[in-house]
Amino acid sequence: MSPRSYTRLKWALGAAALIALPLVVRDRYFLHLLVTAGIFVLLASSWNLLAGYAGQLNLGHAAFYGIGAYTSAILATKLGITPWLGLFAGGIVAALFGLMLGVPSLRLSGPYLAITTIGFSEILRLVAMNWVELTRGSLGLYGIPSFTPIRLGSWLQIEFRAEISSYYLLLVLVCMSLAIFQRLATSEFGLSLQSIREDETGAASIGVNISGYKLAVFTISAFFAGLAGAFFAHYQRLVSPDTLSLGETFTILTMTMLGGLGTLVGPVVGAVLLTFLSEGLRFVEDMVRLDVRMIIYGVLLIVTILFMRGGIVGLWNSLRTESRAEN
Amino acid sequence: MRLLRTTNLTRYFGGLCAVNDVNFELASGEIVGLIGPNGAGKTTLINLLSGVFPPSSGSIIFRDHEISRLKAHQINSLGIARTFQVVRVFKKLTVLDNVLAAAVDRRRLGPWGLVARAILGHGGAGETWDHDEADRLLEFVGLASYRGELAENLPYALSKRLEIARALATKPTLLLLDEPSSGLNPSELNGQIEIIRRINGQGVTILIIEHVMKVIMNISQRIIVLHYGEKIAEGSPKEIYQDPQVVEAYLGGEAHAEH
Amino acid sequence: MESLFVQQAVNGIIVGSVYSLIAIGLTMIFGVMRISNFAHGDYSMLGAYAAVFVLGFFPGWLGWVGSILAAAAGVGIIGLMSERLLFRPLLDRWTDIDIIMVSVGLFLLLENLAQLLFGAMPRMITDPFRGATLNLGLFSTSVLRLFCLCFSCVAIALLQLFLSRTRLGIAIRATSQNRFAALLMGVDTAMVYALTFSVGVALAGIGGVLYGTLFAVFPTMGAMPTLKAFAVTIMGGMGSIRGAIFGGFILGIAETLGGNYISMNYKNAIGFVIIILVLLIRPSGLFGKKEGA
Repeated sequence: MSPRSYTRLKWALGAAALIALPLVVRDRYFLHLLVTAGIFVLLASSWNLLAGYAGQLNLGHAAFYGIGAYTSAILATKLGITPWLGLFAGGIVAALFGLMLGVPSLRLSGPYLAITTIGFSEILRLVAMNWVELTRGSLGLYGIPSFTPIRLGSWLQIEFRAEISSYYLLLVLVCMSLAIFQRLATSEFGLSLQSIREDETGAASIGVNISGYKLAVFTISAFFAGLAGAFFAHYQRLVSPDTLSLGETFTILTMTMLGGLGTLVGPVVGAVLLTFLSEGLRFVEDMVRLDVRMIIYGVLLIVTILFMRGGIVGLWNSLRTESRAEN
Repeated sequence: MRLLRTTNLTRYFGGLCAVNDVNFELASGEIVGLIGPNGAGKTTLINLLSGVFPPSSGSIIFRDHEISRLKAHQINSLGIARTFQVVRVFKKLTVLDNVLAAAVDRRRLGPWGLVARAILGHGGAGETWDHDEADRLLEFVGLASYRGELAENLPYALSKRLEIARALATKPTLLLLDEPSSGLNPSELNGQIEIIRRINGQGVTILIIEHVMKVIMNISQRIIVLHYGEKIAEGSPKEIYQDPQVVEAYLGGEAHAEH
Repeated sequence: MESLFVQQAVNGIIVGSVYSLIAIGLTMIFGVMRISNFAHGDYSMLGAYAAVFVLGFFPGWLGWVGSILAAAAGVGIIGLMSERLLFRPLLDRWTDIDIIMVSVGLFLLLENLAQLLFGAMPRMITDPFRGATLNLGLFSTSVLRLFCLCFSCVAIALLQLFLSRTRLGIAIRATSQNRFAALLMGVDTAMVYALTFSVGVALAGIGGVLYGTLFAVFPTMGAMPTLKAFAVTIMGGMGSIRGAIFGGFILGIAETLGGNYISMNYKNAIGFVIIILVLLIRPSGLFGKKEGA
């Protein structure tokens, strides 16, 4: 079988597995985990585009997530707008905030940019907590409608109350998003982003409009995070200021670094791995009666940076090149 | 045909005047050398021409465009490319990707244009995407066999060549070379001179900063001398070599010693 | 209204002095080693818990003073270890992302480890002066708070003396200004790094005791001082100790007055707003060198 067909077969099998999974494993909690993992895949991948490819250190990514969630939730609960539109709106509004956050990135870098993004995120969280008329403060918004059913003719109706339909919806969203990320990353656009990451002055000298690209990547990255947030709002049906917390951002960060910053597969691996790992940890926590999850995240982050800079994907790649060299 | 002209070009850094009222012209197809003792303002001048920062006063006219207020990437789109004194290749990218990044046609499409192209499935790694052009350039500077190597793994001399290939990929009319020979050993110097000649042979005007007299004297048709930010002499290599002001600027030693 | 203003201003100065102290450590470490430590406030947290621990054995104001010294020493040692194990290995392949990520990891680790070990319930540092207050007409304040102010100022003054009069201090300043030159002059940069980091976090530790005294001690208390320390150092200029001192007081006063006259809820946002404004308008800060942003 030719390599091309082999790759196609692998993709087909993988897709089939993902589609069949909820039919085989009917455990609702397991499906919930998959959905959570899927949301984090979106968040980690979008952060990766910004931080891994373009080298922009954004420590306020959860803010985009939260903005998407709140936008869609508010549109649905206060204005009765259908969640399908809200999904899109969440992404767009988050994208606008992304554009806004892109402006400081034109002049700042490194720790200065990082702290500004944290400030941005924290200010928004405070707004979410205190603008009670709009967001109901710390209580959060509940009773958010789930996705309205899709009717295909008179004989088929897809409901979205059970986890399973949400899973498939998310699967579609994630696949589309990953396809877009793949195209962006491996394109002229992606290469231009990487040139900015490597050396801004050098990039400018070959015609790269640094400001334009930075604003673009912030906007795009924020859009997908907002999309994830909007989905979350109609899935969980409850949104609180916690979605904007630094803890959320740090989780996204840890997932991406662990998986492999600057790679396509890395954030996916990291997101899935850590979601299930933290579940496994929950069993341990129940047994030992200690909250160790964040500690493990911290340790993982430190260990990854010190010893496994390329993350799991990087490790995998270097093992592969080593074995190839030996052969 | 006049390609570039600077008029009263001046640049201050705080109280220090790095470039002081410099006037010169470049004609199409020339190779012009820019020399002067350390701190004379040569790199600052190149930075002004390439848009790294704007002048404090004065103007730069390139092909009838006033470019002194333009940003670096805009100036590159107009046809000026440069290399750097301390090499600034894209370290974590492969040699090929370094050149490909530069080969992207940015005159037509800005970032969002490229985003659209990417999402629609064009301009991706699968397409031929100017690979041929990039390979040709790598061949030209002798880096073809390093194509897949990470730029940070290249020895210093080769990374200087990579910068040249990268600059050429932007299809410039004017190439500014900032000390392309620094750090090269004598055998590498000959190769360098050859490459510069061939670039010029393809119609690219070249302004080259150099300390290595062998290179400058050999390939420049004309030389401009800066000292403390001012142009103190201009002429053929022979004239410059004998100019007492120039000799004195170099403290009467270096210019002779190299030969 | 007048005396309220003065009262709040005094409160602001007291809080500000603690901010200054913590920020000085951060700016020193950045100035010398170019490390932005997002876990800086967690060293304050550790100092606060050290104080709680010591006070458990030696209550009263002598114990309180002793706890400050213990915090400084204890946190200093932990700082030494973190520098050797975590940050030193990274200094060779130093990139912003690496160092910041490691400090984020450290932040997660310390905060949650503290939660694990000490429990989430806030502790109070009992007032060794039993609530004694001082009434000075225009304002009144507790003796304890005055002592905090005094301690901050003394610590800051001692640091200034250390940096300007001792050989080690001068070595630190030299390294922060020009690493290579210092190296060439025979300064043992490895030792300077270790010392700077330890002293920097020790100051944070002392600040943590004072912070915990003024507010409360709980595992997640480190985040706020970290962000405020960043606000202060950015305002004053990263690497500038003088800037950190001024900035700390300015932030303290701005917060207290702002919290009172504008809104209590958004009090903590003031620091962030300052950060954003300073970075957009004058990135090098009030006293910073131009190479800031």
